[in-house]
Amino acid sequence: MAIDVAVTGLGAVTALGGDVPALAAALLDGRSGIGPLTLFAHAGRCRIAAQVPEPVPVALDGGALPPATVRRLSRPDRFGLVAAMQACRQAGLEPEERRAAGLWVGASVGGMRDTEEAWGRRRRGEDRRYRLSDLLGTPISTTAAVVSQALGVFGPRSTWSTACSSSALALGEAAAAIRRGQVRTALVVGADALCRLTYAGFDALQALDPEPCRPFASDRGGLSLGEGGAALVLEDLAHARARGVRPLAVVLGCGTATDAHHVTAPHPDGLGAETALRTALAAGRVPPAAVDYVNAHGTGTRQNDAMEVGVLRRVFGDRLPALPVSSSKAQLGHCLAAAGAVEAVITVLAIDGGILPPTANLRAPDAAWADLDLVRIPGRRQPVEVAVSSSYGFGGHNVSLVFGRQR
Amino acid sequence: MDRHDLLAEVKGLLATGLRLDIPPSDIQDDSPIFGEGLGLDSIDALELVVLVEDRFHVSIPDEEVGKRAFASVRALVDFIVAERPS
Repeated sequence: MAIDVAVTGLGAVTALGGDVPALAAALLDGRSGIGPLTLFAHAGRCRIAAQVPEPVPVALDGGALPPATVRRLSRPDRFGLVAAMQACRQAGLEPEERRAAGLWVGASVGGMRDTEEAWGRRRRGEDRRYRLSDLLGTPISTTAAVVSQALGVFGPRSTWSTACSSSALALGEAAAAIRRGQVRTALVVGADALCRLTYAGFDALQALDPEPCRPFASDRGGLSLGEGGAALVLEDLAHARARGVRPLAVVLGCGTATDAHHVTAPHPDGLGAETALRTALAAGRVPPAAVDYVNAHGTGTRQNDAMEVGVLRRVFGDRLPALPVSSSKAQLGHCLAAAGAVEAVITVLAIDGGILPPTANLRAPDAAWADLDLVRIPGRRQPVEVAVSSSYGFGGHNVSLVFGRQR
Repeated sequence: MDRHDLLAEVKGLLATGLRLDIPPSDIQDDSPIFGEGLGLDSIDALELVVLVEDRFHVSIPDEEVGKRAFASVRALVDFIVAERPS
């Protein structure tokens, strides 16, 4: 018998707050987490970002992670760990369930900012040698190591890095592992934190809007960078039922396909993105007409939004004007490797709560898609049976996820 | 630098160098640096070797010497006084 995959726990640490309820409330308020960039100095065109407000304390309940390890955690490791702890708590995972679970993490630069700090202190002559504690978070696999140690996860563990679709892909792979019976429970984590190199790279590419990003707007001028951590507990639906845990949603399908086109630009016709979306729908045996909400990648760059609307138009056809679409990036910035997991959390919230989050900063939509139903502030109360979340990474790493309500 | 100043400097190095969330004055002169008190671990030990060597121009070449030097803050001050170049 086919195995269905339930989502039973959510966690999030974002610019809009330290947990999922704070995120949900701020999204519907239309509040933006984008503000001045204060984490480091940057000489360039853009000086704003959606920073996670500190402190983000790690509760040491259970004591599995030694205080010395906690003291040295990089920001992305803390974001990922705190989100993972929230998700496990909501799912009510007992130690023996966590023990048998697997861990799928999406990451991009790990604790690069600490590495940059260490390099800066050496360069300025403040340190004669590199400091070990600044380098422990450099490997992007550290987040997975920390989360599994803290939560006692002993099953298969892997870290996925496909630029901005990393944690969406991690989620798809985790769901696949449950479907093939490899694990009954999977913890999915996306974590990314702002650092000089990422920021400078996007700015040099002229991909950053000096003003807060305006996805789908006619005057959109690029993306705003963000950071954060998000986590989802996935499990065999029958297992969740047997534990008496209410599924928040089910994972219906995941699709992934590449553009094989350019190192940064999406394929203008969205070849990989369209294939990813069609594959995800087919995997879930979901006809396009059954989808009633799309949480778009919606970065706010000229190319992405045009490409993405083109994909939606081809896949959903004449029905598109009746299909609510929104991008959460005007409020959260682009959380890069964490974006897929953050937006999966938001998509599950939409299904579970029957609430569509808005697209902020959208005064005038682009004339090319004036017919679209772009959800405005303050969002909308509307039942959602099936929702799509798409993530498109640089280099043409496209992932679409389809979630549904568990009836 | 007299021993009193050295004691304070070593405590400051411990608190800020290892980014402990405590004021240097909370660190006891005679308590073991490693073990229960400050919650330091083996990574801190490796880091502290580098910090002490670079600040005070002494050498902590092996675990044997490290155990002696890090027995307590006072022991570390004794070690620095005895080993640093004059």
